[in-house]
Amino acid sequence: MPPTPPAAPTALSDALNRLWARFLPEIENRVSILEVAAKACTDGCLSQEHRDAAHAAAHKLAGILGTFGLHRGTDLARQVELEFGEKLTRSDASQLSQWIAELRSVIDRRQ
Amino acid sequence: MSRRILIIDDEDDIRQVAALSLETVAGWDVIVASSGAQGLLRAAEHQPDAILLDVMMPGMDGPTTFRELRKNPATAKIPVLLLTAKVQGPDQRRFADLGVEAVLMKPFDPLTLSSQMERILGWE
Repeated sequence: MPPTPPAAPTALSDALNRLWARFLPEIENRVSILEVAAKACTDGCLSQEHRDAAHAAAHKLAGILGTFGLHRGTDLARQVELEFGEKLTRSDASQLSQWIAELRSVIDRRQ
Repeated sequence: MSRRILIIDDEDDIRQVAALSLETVAGWDVIVASSGAQGLLRAAEHQPDAILLDVMMPGMDGPTTFRELRKNPATAKIPVLLLTAKVQGPDQRRFADLGVEAVLMKPFDPLTLSSQMERILGWE
């Protein structure tokens, strides 16, 4: 049986929860940027500006979510970041939207 | 032993979590800077024991900031650890070749960040 991981010190855990609450609006805003870009991709009108904003938002989400324990969120954000860094087509839009919907759900569950 | 760490990152959330982690878990003194230019000034002024430096920042990015730190005799010897969310191999090798002490990955674990730094910097 694997050893039980040590519990996070309460002071750190409590402080992290407060920081999560403080930064949640910005985190949700980044997800909204992804949703807008994915919709534009679905509609075949993704501009370079949308793509750059989405790429940057996904990169930032990948960097922060795991820090708050949301490792699945980091994995999803990395996938989305890679997609927005590649040549996206409309056929990629469905997968992209699924990843972003799951990302939103992962974040909602942490609240 | 108490240490003074400078965190240079343009993202407020990363700065705050890293500072919280190092202050709460290790009891270290933390100084923050939100840009490479501000980081250069803070490093010279406060003489930290180590610098956590983000790679992707608008304006002066992490590698450029690192080179500027090395050019200044007042900051040339301060150990620098790069912090990056870039996971691709070529990026990792390019950053390691700069001459930094280590390249740490985002996301980091707030519970173990300080012990990871202690290990890398031989502070154990």
